Amino acid sequence: MYTLLSGLYKYMFRRDEYCILILGLDNAGKTTFLEQTKTRFNKNYKGMTLSKITTTVGLNIGTIDVGKARLMFWDLGGQEELQSLWDKYYAESHGVIYIIDSTDEERLQESKRAFEKMVTSEVLEGVPLLVLANKQDVENCLSIPDIKTAFSDCINKIGKRDCLTQACSALTGKEEERMPPQKHLDLVSRAESCDHGTIMSY
Amino acid sequence: MGGFFSTIFSSLFGTREMRILILGLDGAGKTTILYRLQVGEVVTTIPTIGFNVETVTYKNLKFQVWDLGGQTSIRPYWRCYYSNTDAVIYVVDSCDRDRIGISKSELVAMLEEEELKKAILVVFANKQDMEQAMTPTEMANALGLPALKDRKWQIFKTSATKGTGLDEAMEWLVETLKSRQ
Repeated sequence: MYTLLSGLYKYMFRRDEYCILILGLDNAGKTTFLEQTKTRFNKNYKGMTLSKITTTVGLNIGTIDVGKARLMFWDLGGQEELQSLWDKYYAESHGVIYIIDSTDEERLQESKRAFEKMVTSEVLEGVPLLVLANKQDVENCLSIPDIKTAFSDCINKIGKRDCLTQACSALTGKEEERMPPQKHLDLVSRAESCDHGTIMSY
Repeated sequence: MGGFFSTIFSSLFGTREMRILILGLDGAGKTTILYRLQVGEVVTTIPTIGFNVETVTYKNLKFQVWDLGGQTSIRPYWRCYYSNTDAVIYVVDSCDRDRIGISKSELVAMLEEEELKKAILVVFANKQDMEQAMTPTEMANALGLPALKDRKWQIFKTSATKGTGLDEAMEWLVETLKSRQ
């Protein structure tokens, strides 16, 4: 009887778990994005002071619940030397968020190279991608079309997978308010054919 | 009744003392780090048999820092100190490539402990002032850190004798512990 009830309980409140990697060059705003997301989706979560966030040399994690799904984020350090650690996480990822610093035109090519290396990885084949052009709150930053042009020669490498590019500002959280549910939903609904109805109604 | 008020009072004004363990193999520089944090000076140390415990205040946050001896024979006693630990500072000698494997297995065994499930892990890649010190990436791979998927971890390059890297590390620790409360 107990097993039956607990089984029913588990079935009713079961959450599908997905692991999402947050990648990008150092200083792109990955940790800020993670903290902002955590603050928005978890009630009572007092995030880190955004201005106090320092360079990540390691891993930050975060879990949020969207509809019936539970998303687990892995935010990795983006320094060149640390990029060699990224592929250790590929095998278990259901989605990748790639963050680009829209204010840093000089390093755009470097970011492109890192992106290219990531998308051509065999382990990540078919994994949905969300590309975020961050720091859109800064004046004179690169626009989405600018970035798309710079990344144009990677397009055929993306292959058969869902890829969405979006502007955002992790610091101010602008557009986040409206966007994250959608984009997480996007990633989730693409990550696997899961319970669409529930997530959509969210 | 008094206890009730004191609980309210401390939750309003007081900050709980954070409990931090400094662990690592012998000769990694744990005691030097502890006293560098507390008095800001390099003290002459001898191998720790037993433990040193000091209260360190940093940015209005009080830490109770335990530095446990790292010799092979006394490592089994580390586990007696695990309960209620908020963060573990794992100190590794960046030049000691021969014993990095031992360091890894001690770390892995430690992280499997139930009592440390919620503890934050900070690795100090110590002795960075020496030539041929391992880089953070090398160290992360050697310690098998990429295999940790459900724990926040961070590596800092430090030199306890020169005092570099410790401030950044403590700053990070303070912010992380604050946001976790």
